[in-house]
Amino acid sequence: MQLELGVTAAAPRAPAPRVLALCFPDLPLQRALGLRETSSFDRRRTPLAVERAGRVIACDPEARARGVRAGDSPAQARAACAGLELVPADDAADRAALEAAAEALLALAPAVEVDWPDTLLLDASGASVLSASGGGDGEVLLMEQALALTRELGLRCRAAVASGRAPCRALARHGGTMAPVSPGRVANALAGLPVEALGLEPALAVRLAALGLREIGDLARLPPETLPHRLGPAGLAAWRLAQGDDPSPLTPYVPRLLPEERLEFEAPLESAEPLLFALKRACDRIAARLAGRGLGATRLALTLRLDDRTDEHVEVALAAPSCAAARWLLVIRERVTALRPGAPVVAVVVAVADAAPCAMEQLAIGDRPRQLVALEAVLSRLAGRLGEGAVFAATRVDRHRPEAAYGARAFAAGRKRDLQSAPGRERGAKRRRSSRDGAAREQDPARPHDGEEPGAASPDSDEPTRPTRLLPEPQPLVALGEGGRLAAVRLGTQTFRVLALSPAERLAGEWWADPYDRDYHRARLEGLGECWIFRDASDGRLWLHGLFD
Amino acid sequence: MAANTCVIEDLREKIRRIEGQRPAGVTFVSSGWEQVDAILPGSGFPRGAISELAGSRASGKTAIALSTLAQATRGQGVAAFVDGRRELYPPAAAALGVDLERLLVIRPDPVNPAEAARVSLWAAESVLASGAFEAVAVDVPLEDLRGRNPASVEAMLQRIRAAAEKGGAVAIWLGAPGGIRAPCAVRLEVSAGAGGWRVRRARARGAQDATKACPSSVVVHHAA
Repeated sequence: MQLELGVTAAAPRAPAPRVLALCFPDLPLQRALGLRETSSFDRRRTPLAVERAGRVIACDPEARARGVRAGDSPAQARAACAGLELVPADDAADRAALEAAAEALLALAPAVEVDWPDTLLLDASGASVLSASGGGDGEVLLMEQALALTRELGLRCRAAVASGRAPCRALARHGGTMAPVSPGRVANALAGLPVEALGLEPALAVRLAALGLREIGDLARLPPETLPHRLGPAGLAAWRLAQGDDPSPLTPYVPRLLPEERLEFEAPLESAEPLLFALKRACDRIAARLAGRGLGATRLALTLRLDDRTDEHVEVALAAPSCAAARWLLVIRERVTALRPGAPVVAVVVAVADAAPCAMEQLAIGDRPRQLVALEAVLSRLAGRLGEGAVFAATRVDRHRPEAAYGARAFAAGRKRDLQSAPGRERGAKRRRSSRDGAAREQDPARPHDGEEPGAASPDSDEPTRPTRLLPEPQPLVALGEGGRLAAVRLGTQTFRVLALSPAERLAGEWWADPYDRDYHRARLEGLGECWIFRDASDGRLWLHGLFD
Repeated sequence: MAANTCVIEDLREKIRRIEGQRPAGVTFVSSGWEQVDAILPGSGFPRGAISELAGSRASGKTAIALSTLAQATRGQGVAAFVDGRRELYPPAAAALGVDLERLLVIRPDPVNPAEAARVSLWAAESVLASGAFEAVAVDVPLEDLRGRNPASVEAMLQRIRAAAEKGGAVAIWLGAPGGIRAPCAVRLEVSAGAGGWRVRRARARGAQDATKACPSSVVVHHAA
């Protein structure tokens, strides 16, 4: 049986995505220079070079001016430049720095790919619609913002915007900051670059060099129908790249861990100011990374490594998720200046211990952003000094036991303007109360009373009045009666005559856990005032529980 | 013409609020009780100064303070209660009209009574100086500081006064009769009686002419 092999038309290729490539030249050197800037407060600057496997891979301009070159041995480099500081390359630290930049750039693009060892690729697909004109202005704006953000992180880079990952990367690595390249002109832009710029497999690159193809334009001018026969499928793929045709999608970088910054100081720090300076730089970088992920820190963990090999831990709790380093530093400054470490600080680690989504909020007329900032600062300061449990907003709880009728939650500064709920009440909560005759009543306190403005405060006329003060622990009373009537009570060493006593309100329940059964009275005591007392049904004892102050 | 002037002033007021400035020309906050307002110069408690409510433990001063906080937080403002005695009962505050979502309760955990009082004073100073609150009620057991150097206690209280001036909030100080007095601009003495609260104006600094037209004491008949 003969099978018919149908030749199907090639599936249409997807258009190449618009990409912004950022290439960080000499990243190991940039990172080493930035680290020295942050960790050393000595204003003298010695020439700096980075070495790997016994060879110099990069050096700063001063070292280069004195004759140091990439490829020199350490001895050659030091001979050329006296006083040269030679630091070893640290691939792990370089990758972490690149990933940190990627994390921060997530604020500008929906996806960022880390193209090791020195390039970040940002998805610029929607950038062209950013400007009203609909032209390339949006991509220029994206490029400018990305360059500004990387400068804030202490890195410099070359940028290029074009269609396709590989072409854009080639333009950034071998070109400089330039205007966006329109989709139809990518091939022209690539033509003068070396073939190696396409990132081809080494074997294919060797074969192309052997054929005398030095530039990408040489490859692009070859007839494509001959390439599979001479160079295989890889050759045809390379030809398409030379045409600027690269539909491959970005591989997005997904940050897994909460950001952390480590700083080691050249000389131990004995005062707070230089430490705060270093902490500010670290917080700025961490904040940028969190902002890129749409997160705000709710808790920061600082670890100060001391000269005597001990650690000092500081935990900073924030009132609300925040990615603004300035707000963190308001609290950090207070905590750090209050510290009295036993030895100078040699290193510090700043980590985000907890984070939460930090959505941007649209301010409304009447909002007072400065007061919000002041409120968050004082909340953080109070929580830091007194503990988180000491600062709270109360919330009503649907329980009859008086001491359990409210709970504590984090103070949200009343930001949620819910006009449908009455203040201080839980929505949908229903209360059942039993009076002495056993009748039960149900109420829905969330339903506004007639004629009441939504959200306005109103006294709850159906509920019995509660004292404004509830003693942390009920105080025992000694009942003094006359003719079966409560005439006076003794509290400690003082005796108070009972001037008036309200009918009892029985509060009982929770038989399944911690049962209680109390008859509460509002009593006016001579010389004291209106008090809330109860008789415990279990033993008949009388207690003072609250004061109508 | 008068209507246009009102519209312009209303717009100016909105701009001030947007810019975070205090409302111009409004320096008093009502207590929430007409009878109490009647004995206060400006018909309310002054902003940027301490007003002391002195009374025994069940005199009614806390209800007046909470009612003032409720008035101050109408709209966008937030209030605070420094609960050094750990006795504030929030359900009662809600019944008096306080929006619990806008009331920050500060309740230090006491290591010992003197330390709790000192920490409460620090918290009051921080909150008042921040400028983020419309009104702050302070309930600190100053009697627990009796063993300390009186000069240091006085210095703490003066710092709180300065913080209130800086922050511009209404500061309500809950004091005890015969106890250590706070440096206040207004002092009301509150006592409980059969008919309600008796409130007497004992001090109103800087408003001598205004107080001549006000009665010096009232009886507040309350349902609570």
